[in-house]
Order: sequence, then structure tokens, then C-alpha cells
Amino acid sequence: MTRSSAVPAVPASTGRGVRAVRAVLLVVGVALIGVGGWVLTDTVSPTRYGGLLVWLIGAVLAHDAVIAPVVAGVALLVGRTGRRVRPAVIAIVQVGVVVGVVLTLIVVPEIVAKARGPKNDTVLPFDYGARLGVAWLVVAVLTALAVAGWVVLARRREARRSA
Amino acid sequence: MRRLLLTLRTAASSPVRNARSATVLGRLLGLAFLVCLLTGLYSHFLQEPASWMRFPTSPVWLYQVTQGVHITAGIAAIPLLLGKLHAVFPQLFQTPPVRHPVQVLERASIALFVATSVLQLVTGLLNTYQWYPWPFPFKQVHFALSFVIIGSLAVHIAVKLPLIQRYWRARDSYDADGRFVEPSGELDPARAEHQAVRELALLRRDEPQPRGLVGRVTRWIDDAREPEREPARSRVTRRGFFGAVGVSTVGVVALTAGQSFTPLQPLNAFGPRQRGLGPNDLPINRTAAAAKVLETAMDPDWTLTIAHGERSMALSADDLEAMTQGDERLPISCVEGWSQTAHWRGVRLVELMALVGAPADRSLRVTSLEEKGGYRVMLMGPEYATDPATLVALEVNGSRLDIEHGYPARIIAPGRPGVLQTKWLSLIEVI
Repeated sequence: MTRSSAVPAVPASTGRGVRAVRAVLLVVGVALIGVGGWVLTDTVSPTRYGGLLVWLIGAVLAHDAVIAPVVAGVALLVGRTGRRVRPAVIAIVQVGVVVGVVLTLIVVPEIVAKARGPKNDTVLPFDYGARLGVAWLVVAVLTALAVAGWVVLARRREARRSA
Repeated sequence: MRRLLLTLRTAASSPVRNARSATVLGRLLGLAFLVCLLTGLYSHFLQEPASWMRFPTSPVWLYQVTQGVHITAGIAAIPLLLGKLHAVFPQLFQTPPVRHPVQVLERASIALFVATSVLQLVTGLLNTYQWYPWPFPFKQVHFALSFVIIGSLAVHIAVKLPLIQRYWRARDSYDADGRFVEPSGELDPARAEHQAVRELALLRRDEPQPRGLVGRVTRWIDDAREPEREPARSRVTRRGFFGAVGVSTVGVVALTAGQSFTPLQPLNAFGPRQRGLGPNDLPINRTAAAAKVLETAMDPDWTLTIAHGERSMALSADDLEAMTQGDERLPISCVEGWSQTAHWRGVRLVELMALVGAPADRSLRVTSLEEKGGYRVMLMGPEYATDPATLVALEVNGSRLDIEHGYPARIIAPGRPGVLQTKWLSLIEVI
């Protein structure tokens, strides 16, 4: 493709200042990565590198191959099927769902850790599963209220406009 | 393969997935990571100081706040990172995957950043739950990765700087109708390339359109995307996205940070610790049973030995109780983020040091009754040893120390991590 050669590899600098800042950031960045690597080899036994690498790759795969495609798929489904619903209502419901999912992501490991048995009674003292259920309920109620409030306001606005 | 990448990128495109969203979330995420790095370094050097390092002992809540902020900023970074990755997801499907050697390095630096930051947040969160399901040491890897994260972030910012600058302000990013103003090809080569390839494909009408399942899926996706091309609709979609990221971030902080910050205490629904819970109304980390001190700490013949060179003296619990008692309100602040201020009563360390004639500029080596464990022996710099607030505590919150809190006597010093507030004291040496 002939176009490729005309397009730069990365965003082009827009001035001398930008170029200088980029150079400094690049040097500092590479140096810090080096420091991290040195600290790692200095403090962690080489027998653990394999496991670390597996977890690093796993972290990327968990996001890029599981979380992101599921989110993209759900977004497409909503885009297709949600045409009869007002966009703002979809947006409000989406906020509720995302809040619930993020809370779940953070609390599920806590439930597992609690089930495995904490070191003492002051570590993980709550019933996190029940609390997560309550949180979802609260999120659902607040979302419903927000949707109802928005619909009422929107109807009033439309009535005023047509009057 | 090229068509697949093209389709995926088009399918993944959305009004929230643009350079402005990436800039807005990138700023917040960068700030959160920077705060985590600085507070983390402070905590690291408190625990493993170089011999010349001295630390402030006032305000007494300094470490309580820095470590509470460290954990809270880390938790806030979880929804921010998910939002940021969501905003840039289509970049994953570039066609061709690599156009230039420099780009290999750029994409490698992003892969490194994503891998290390996701892993850092996951392991950091699970550490506060005291659950370690991975095959590597947490503390060392957490420390090493923090440099790699900030380093790869700096490289990433260096690469994207012209784009970040272009979309720094909202008014430069959207037109009057609220439509995103696309960057020039110079500023976003990957996007320009994608557009060019798409246009080329559209021009070549003679090129067979995808048929069968692939064709149907492509058309279905195009259909689903259709309404979002209206500016009014895309503005609502964007607000929904930022609302979701914003409310999630505020939500997770509000519902967990009560373990570290008093104003949020009533909202602490999901924090791994609850203030006021435990013996002496105080949470514990290492128990007396785990430290194997149940017998030695309860021994009626227990004494605390204080040694300065040749001079040394052994004080029984009665001796300590008979000395002048000092009262201090000091926090116990765990490196896992939770903290609680308590009312301590005991002998001021400076008075004990005066008994053996210790000079003011000396460090102390403090040894616990514990048989083993990483914190059995603790080194204390002169700034803590000479601070009048540092106590050999005998009481907390109005009653004698519970064995879980270090009976018969423990150290409590201002502004230090909980693991260095040595429990079940046995020996204090001037070094």
C-alpha cells in the first residue's frame, strides 16, 4: 500500500516544545522500566518468573479476550434492540448496570477470600455476599427512580413545547 | 484476517471511543497511578529505609493518610482503568497490525502497561483481602511493577502527546452539534489508515461483499451502529459512559474507604476491615497464636530488657506500671490501608532510654517475644526513638493491652506502619 509510507508511524510532533517533552518522557519511561526490571531480578527468584509471566499474559487476556468482547457484544445488542427505548433511559440503566458490575468485580474476590477463612475475626468481618445483594437492590431502585424522574421531566418538557 | 480486523474495529467503534474520552480518562488514571506510586514509595522506605533516611513524626496521622490514600486511589483506579481500556478498545484491531518498526515498540509498551497495571490492581486489591493465589511474592513484585507501570505510562504519553494536547479541552474536541472532531492523519495515523482501508474497500464495489454468516453479522453490526451517528444520540451515549465511570469510581471509593477515613466510616459496606471491631475495640493483624507467644507473653516472670552497651536493666510489668505514665492519641495504620486512632497509655520511650543513658542520636533495635516472622526484630530511627509521643504502651482505650494487641507491652510511635509497632516486647537495644 502506497499510503502507508506517507503516514507517520506514531502521532507527529506539533512543535519543538512537544518534541522536547516527548524525548524527556521517553528517556524517563525507558529508564523506569529498566529500574523495574532490575528491582525484579534483584528481589525475586528466577524460579518465579514463569508464574509471573503467565499472570501478566493472563491479565491481558482476561480483559481483551473476555471482558471487552462481552461488553462490546452487550453494547451492540442494546443498540439493536433498544431502538424503541429513549436513548437517555438506556444511558441511565447502563450507569446502574456498570456500577453493579464494578462493585461485583471488587466484592466477589472478597467473598472467596472470606470463604477460604481469614487469619482472624477482624479480617473480612462482614457477610459480603448479602451486602452485594443489597447493593444491587439499592442500585436497581435508584436507577428506576432516575428513569422515572427523567421520563416525567421529559414528558413535561414535551407538553410545554406542544402547548 | 485483514477483513476480520477491519470488521472488528468498525464493530467496536462508538461515540465514546475517541481520543477525547481517552484523554479525559487517561488524565484521571495517570493521576491515580502517580498518587499510588508516591504514597507507595513513602510506605516502602518507611519499612526499608536507607541508613541516612529520616522521616517526619508529625503530624501523627501522616502515614495513616498516605496509606489510606494509596489503597483508595488504587481502588478508584479499577473503574478508571476499565473505562480507559473501553475507550481505546478499537485500537487493538489495527490494519495492518504493524505499519512501521517504531510501532512495534509502541504497541509493546502498551501491552506492557495493560498487563502490569491490570495485574497490579488485581494483586493489590486481593492483598487487602489477605488472599494470595499467585505463584510469586506479592511485596517484591508489587514494588518492581510500580516502576514498570509508570515507565510504560511515560512512554505511552510520549507517543500520544500531540493527540493528548489536541484533545485536552472539550471545546476543541466537539463541534457545535456535539460531533467529535476527528484528528488529522498526521495526529492519528492508525485511525487514518483504518479510514483509508475502509474507503478503498467501499470504492471497490466489484470486490465481493462478505456473504453468508460473516456478511450477516457485518450488516447486523452496521445496523446496530446506525442510530449512534446522530449527534444528539451520541452525546447521550457519551454522557452515559462518563456517568457510568464516574458513579462507579465514586461508589467503590465511598463504600470501601471508611476503613481508612473517618467521614466515610458509616458507608463502609465492603471494606475488608471495620473500625472498632476486635479486642480493645481495635482490629488486629497478627494474632498471639500465630506469633506463638501465648505462653511467653503471659509468663509472670516476663521482663523488658533495655540495653545500652554494657549498661542494661530488666523491668517487670509492675516496674513499668509504677513509672510515670504518658497518654497519647495515635493511629494504628496498616500497610493494607485500614487504620484506627486509639488512646494509648504507657511509659514514654525517651524516659526508658534515659534510664540507660542513651544519647539522643542513636537508633534502637527492638525485639519481640515472637519466635519467628519478618517483623520479630524492628529497627527504629532516632526521630522516633527521641519523639516524646513514642510509648512503650501498657494500656489502650482505657484497659490493659489485650494479648492480641501485644500484652504485656508494645511499641506505639507516631507516623509508622502497623507492622513496625512491635507487639509483645522483649528487648530494646541502643545501637
